[in-house]
Amino acid sequence: MILALILLLLDAPQSTPLQGPALDQRTQEVASGLRCPVCQGLSIADSPSEMAVNMKAEVRSMLAKGYTREQIETYFIRSYGEFVLLEPKFEGVNALVWILPVAALLLGAFAVWRVLRKLSAAPQPKPRVSADDPDLARVRELVKGATS
Amino acid sequence: MNRFVLSTGAVITAALVAVLMSGLGRDPKHIDSPLLGNAAPHFVLKSIGSAESIDIAKFRGKPVVLNFWATWCAPCWEEHPVLNETARAHPEVQFLGVVFQDEEAKIQDFLRRRGSAYPTVIDEGGRTAIAYGVGGVPETFILDANGTIVVKHDGPVSQQQLQAYLAEVRK
Repeated sequence: MILALILLLLDAPQSTPLQGPALDQRTQEVASGLRCPVCQGLSIADSPSEMAVNMKAEVRSMLAKGYTREQIETYFIRSYGEFVLLEPKFEGVNALVWILPVAALLLGAFAVWRVLRKLSAAPQPKPRVSADDPDLARVRELVKGATS
Repeated sequence: MNRFVLSTGAVITAALVAVLMSGLGRDPKHIDSPLLGNAAPHFVLKSIGSAESIDIAKFRGKPVVLNFWATWCAPCWEEHPVLNETARAHPEVQFLGVVFQDEEAKIQDFLRRRGSAYPTVIDEGGRTAIAYGVGGVPETFILDANGTIVVKHDGPVSQQQLQAYLAEVRK
């Protein structure tokens, strides 16, 4: 009956049924990306809660029937929403989670570049007294006379 | 400082503050159910206290109050009399308890001591709970007569809340 429920929600399995060590390994991989809904930020692969154990068993059962990772994630998203994915997908509003930090970093780099460019392009301050200033020549003469 | 950089930074900061502020009033444990407005997942589960199974499809044609609970859940004890009373007061609404992560003997004992005005089924392995996106107990789903989920309530439901939900589903 539950298989019928899954079949109603998803297309036919799109991969080959897994078994043995390959099934164990793939179950662990897929379960690592699914959030345990009763835990704090733990995947169903890491949580010992009964809910997580049940969800992991469901993942294993679906892999054994030949469902792909994408099909399994779709099944869980239909029940729990995208919240169930530990890593949000790069699409729609979710893409902002990935784009905004990079955009902020680029903006910061741009600001630093602008400031540095302004500093290097600024004209050098002119000396207050030119080398051939008559007053300066007089001071030099006086200093020379005093020391000789 | 460049005016463009300042204004862009201000926009990004304002957006971040708005996102954080919008999250302040929300229950961090609440998950918006994507099932709202969609057909309730179908199931056939074994009835408590009998060898028969109950098919959710047989209740099509009248509103259904689907309550996920467990005997080890203290808020479920608090909620149980509310559900019983409302079920007795509204025979036109089908109430159904779905127990998961529990043992049949304990459920039977609980129902014998506290009474039950409606059938209860056991969800071995929690597969139906997963199909409904249940994150904890108690959780209550209200289905309209067409089998569409119109309400999902997290935590124990009060008499007033239940009455309001039933009024909504009868619209």
